[in-house]
Amino acid sequence: MTLTEDPTRLLSATSENDALEQLHAMGCTDGLPVVIPTADRVFRMALASGLDPNLHLGVMGPAYGVATVEKVATAAVMAGCIPDHFPVVVAAIRAICKPEFDLTEVQATTHCTTPFTIVCGPAREACGGVASGFGALGPGHRANASIGRAIRMAMINIGGGRPGESDMSLHGHPGKFTYCMAEDSLNSPFPDLHTSFGYSADQSAVVVTGAEAPHSVLFAGDADDPESINRFLDLLAMIMANPGSNNVHLIGGSVVVIMNPDHGRVIQHAGLTREDMQAELASRASISMGTLRRIGAPFAARHTDKDDEDLIHVLRDPSRIVLFQGGGNGLYSMVMPSWCAGPHGNTVVHAEVELDQTCEVPGMTELKL
Amino acid sequence: MRDSIIVARESIPSIALVTEVFWPQGNFVAKSNGMPDIPRIQIPHPVAGSGEANMAAVASDITPEIISILTGT
Repeated sequence: MTLTEDPTRLLSATSENDALEQLHAMGCTDGLPVVIPTADRVFRMALASGLDPNLHLGVMGPAYGVATVEKVATAAVMAGCIPDHFPVVVAAIRAICKPEFDLTEVQATTHCTTPFTIVCGPAREACGGVASGFGALGPGHRANASIGRAIRMAMINIGGGRPGESDMSLHGHPGKFTYCMAEDSLNSPFPDLHTSFGYSADQSAVVVTGAEAPHSVLFAGDADDPESINRFLDLLAMIMANPGSNNVHLIGGSVVVIMNPDHGRVIQHAGLTREDMQAELASRASISMGTLRRIGAPFAARHTDKDDEDLIHVLRDPSRIVLFQGGGNGLYSMVMPSWCAGPHGNTVVHAEVELDQTCEVPGMTELKL
Repeated sequence: MRDSIIVARESIPSIALVTEVFWPQGNFVAKSNGMPDIPRIQIPHPVAGSGEANMAAVASDITPEIISILTGT
């Protein structure tokens, strides 16, 4: 196995600090310090994957760079990944390179959308311990932070997404640094999320969709109140139909709903399946035509056959509600509206995390940094 | 810009109208799509939502340049 056979592909620097400054100056970072992707580090990352370093995982727009295993390994090293994380990164890159994800448009849009990666199945533990509980979307979880950041590094350096030049997101959002967590399948009232996409529970997969930042949803359940589940459903649906979101104005797209374990128990108590929840939320997430005309005239104009009293449902397909359990116990769940645009309308994509391809690099369980 | 490139690839004369804010992105997309020299005209930003009078004024300003590019004069 050989890597970087062409020496012209290598940069040179007199120290790691100089190399870091060089990478910052070239626009190759996310603005934070990165691990310098030396040939040795990239070699070890790719070697541990068990994959051919020249294997093409996909093409990443808007620069249309070919995501080889070697290039993605470079992104993973820069992001601080250890080899254990790499199979998830590879799977996520495969997922977002699927044509139906519209990566070129996701990178180029003025909306803040960014890939949100959910890790399902045994990879949650096998790939460095991807957190699903307290603060899973926040700081302090190495696998979550590094895997999500590696995806962004690939989007910057292979896909060419740079703010104000080719990534035209008006504000971005913090999830554009890293946006990855695991499903809390151990406590979930539902079968594993990836089984909804045809995988078996003992397989591992990533489920990815473009998403806004998470919106907090406060809900206090009451086991003595038979209406508790309806109150919860209505509340989630109201956030899904947040009048500022693209889901309301463009209709369709996807929505991510992350239930905390306490809210999961409310659903379990009510005996609802994931499909029941998706159907209920899709039927409840709506806005009146009159309100839509008042706040969103240009986009509302296409609803020519509707009266002001009519309800406009913000999702066309209940299966586009990505519903899973995560976060710590308490009052808050999360809803992430979406961009809803692009040729395929903000689909949900997935790819298997292939764990049997990996190998242990002799004498090295982690990268020598 | 991509729309203009797609149209041009069908051998249909095409000119992209790009607002000044999106001019760098237009250059990036033209280059990454293999048509760095595709004709384009810079227009003020914003145009969308700027009112009919402004849009008509912008259209009037750029019409001679559009004709000039299309006719090669």
